Amino acid sequence: MKRNMIARTAAAAAAGALCLAMTACDSSAGGQAEGGGEENQSGEALKVGLAYDVGGRGDKSFNDSAYRGLQQVQEELDVTEVRDLEPTEGEADTDKEERLKLMAEEGYNVVIGVGFAYAEPMKKVAPEYPDVHFAIVDSEIEGIDNITSLVFAEEEASFLAGAAAALKSEADHIGFIGGVETPLIRKFEAGFVAGAQEITPDIEIERAYLTQPPDMNGFQDPARGESTADGQYDAGADVIYHAAGASGNGVLNSAVANDKLFIGVDSDQYQNAADDQKPHVLTSALKDVDVAVFEFVKSVAEGNAQSGIQRFDLAGGGVDYSTSNEEEIADIQEQLDELKQQIIDGEIEVPTEP
Amino acid sequence: MSQTLEVATPQVAPPRARNRWRILSIVFAAFVALSAVRMFTGQPVLTGSGTIQATLAFAVPIGLAGLGGLWAERAGVVNIGLEGMMVFGTWFGAFAAYTTGNPWAGLVAGVLGGVFGGLIHAVATVTFGVDHIVSGVAINILAVGAMRYLSILYFQDAPGGGASQSPPLPGFPRVGLPFVDSLLGPVEERQWFLVSDLAGLVIGLTTDMSVVTLLAILLVPASYWLLWRTPFGLRLRSCGENPDAAESLGVRVNGYKYVAVLVSGGLAGLGGVFLAMVASSIYQEGQTGGRGYIGLAAMIFGNWRPGGLAMGAGLFGYTDALQVRGSGGAVHALLVLIALALVAVAVWQWLRGRRIVAGVSLGFAVVLGAWYLLTDTLPRELVTYSPHIATLLVMALATQRLRPPAAAGRPWRRGGGS
Repeated sequence: MKRNMIARTAAAAAAGALCLAMTACDSSAGGQAEGGGEENQSGEALKVGLAYDVGGRGDKSFNDSAYRGLQQVQEELDVTEVRDLEPTEGEADTDKEERLKLMAEEGYNVVIGVGFAYAEPMKKVAPEYPDVHFAIVDSEIEGIDNITSLVFAEEEASFLAGAAAALKSEADHIGFIGGVETPLIRKFEAGFVAGAQEITPDIEIERAYLTQPPDMNGFQDPARGESTADGQYDAGADVIYHAAGASGNGVLNSAVANDKLFIGVDSDQYQNAADDQKPHVLTSALKDVDVAVFEFVKSVAEGNAQSGIQRFDLAGGGVDYSTSNEEEIADIQEQLDELKQQIIDGEIEVPTEP
Repeated sequence: MSQTLEVATPQVAPPRARNRWRILSIVFAAFVALSAVRMFTGQPVLTGSGTIQATLAFAVPIGLAGLGGLWAERAGVVNIGLEGMMVFGTWFGAFAAYTTGNPWAGLVAGVLGGVFGGLIHAVATVTFGVDHIVSGVAINILAVGAMRYLSILYFQDAPGGGASQSPPLPGFPRVGLPFVDSLLGPVEERQWFLVSDLAGLVIGLTTDMSVVTLLAILLVPASYWLLWRTPFGLRLRSCGENPDAAESLGVRVNGYKYVAVLVSGGLAGLGGVFLAMVASSIYQEGQTGGRGYIGLAAMIFGNWRPGGLAMGAGLFGYTDALQVRGSGGAVHALLVLIALALVAVAVWQWLRGRRIVAGVSLGFAVVLGAWYLLTDTLPRELVTYSPHIATLLVMALATQRLRPPAAAGRPWRRGGGS
């Protein structure tokens, strides 16, 4: 009986965890983004839907960048019908399919999946709605006419982040924190390491990933981000670069608490940091998801929709490093710009695998 | 009255004093071994003060969930809904702290949120006799959906918020003993055998601690005192062992069950507050990450006792802290410790005449030792799951007899015993 009870509790605990993961159903999430209040002047009724990846709006990084693009669409293209939907924790691919279908069914003619997690669902859904313009950020999909892939050369921006970290590090010891060890995030790591070694060949680099796939929680666990950053700073690193979405907020907290430097990702994290945090944000590896989203919607609005694979890199714009923290960045900006030019000219080949 | 009940409660257990010395000596031996391993592998992170602090941060929510499970199960109610009650705690704590700007209001609201979850569970299981597991799982599912709904209502349009997270939240004050860091800090850095490790432990436990952490730690002895040293606790536990006997002696069984499940929910809610406002400074969907279930595992590991579950939570927290702070290198060093422990097991089993078990243990020890010597670090995929692996290993190695409350999980109706 006792043994039976233990087994029963354990089994129930396991079953509970499973149920929680599986039934965390899409509670028709999201809602109307605040209406622009503007009249729709252009004749065609453009309806734009945006589906986020884990982390969602408020991560001050990747998803927020996409949201800025959506806001810009609202303001500059006078599109009032916009909607953004957030995923639920631990959802299955079928939930993402449903989300895309939902928007297509409701008459959204531009549907954008933010994040590589939408690749497989979109491949399934897009052929069923040939009149809808789909776009996916961070994944290359070929062979389906109504899907446009918006991809970035993250490694190039990360290279500049690595160079900046190496130039600013007094101990020649820096750190990298990735959210989840996926091929995409490894690109960030590869670029960062290469950039740092370009400046200081024997630099010491702490590297950590918060979780391993398929556990995508590493993009939304600020507590773990903070502890990991504490560990790296305690180990001697004095600049940390993160590619961990919302978990990066914890990394920034740790940088402030330890009085060390932090490099942001995707958005210019100097702009959305609190005032007491700003001095610690050295720079950010920018990835202009907002520009990509805006340009894509604009091309649809103008009647000549982008198609195929749209690549954004240093040469063409779309990735860069930020210079908003002038106090910290001023003395190394010249060197960084030189490196940037070398990458654009093809003199430096940035690896995509660490 | 209480003496008659006492007969029903404990099974044959070894004398308490002897048991306590045995546990203390095992803990001390483990600490000495850890110190030796640190010297041998040159991984100061193994016993550093930062690691101890991170251990506390990871262990507290698990320990609170475990304590919640302990209260409920001691009164005979299995509470698989701890996870959902933690979710209530994270959201309501965040909401109150955000709207009032006062972290203490968040603490109270978070605990009340957990109590609310407990109330649902109590009404379902105690009053209506619903299967405990079914009710608990329902609460877990309900919590996630309901909090998402409330987030959309209240956090969606707040600056910095979203459908799955809150705006930044205020933090709690931190406390610590003065001078400890400046006095013992240099000692820790010397890396002397045992002395520096003790210094790291003391610094980690006495400086820069959130008041919620302190509160959570104090709740462990407080629970022990209340449940094992007061008439109230005796009656509550009697409801979990033999409710019919308790009822025949005039104990209001359902009343005690209600109190226990409400306290259980409150503790889980406090764990949620800790996650949202101490471990991080933001509410985020999925923040609990299954800690309610791990808390239950810690409780089972601790044989339904506060001290044992604190050790279980500490063990999980420690391995998690190691993998987060020291990454591959530190966990790699743990291989040596596990190998040492296996050798000890082998010797002990050999002396008891169980040659085969001893041989197998020794074999594993050799394999682990070789693994340590032939590699420099562990693959990241493995390191991430080291807390779970460590818990499994210790669970398997621990040769303790587990004894759950006899009537835990059984629906009970008033007057059923007559």
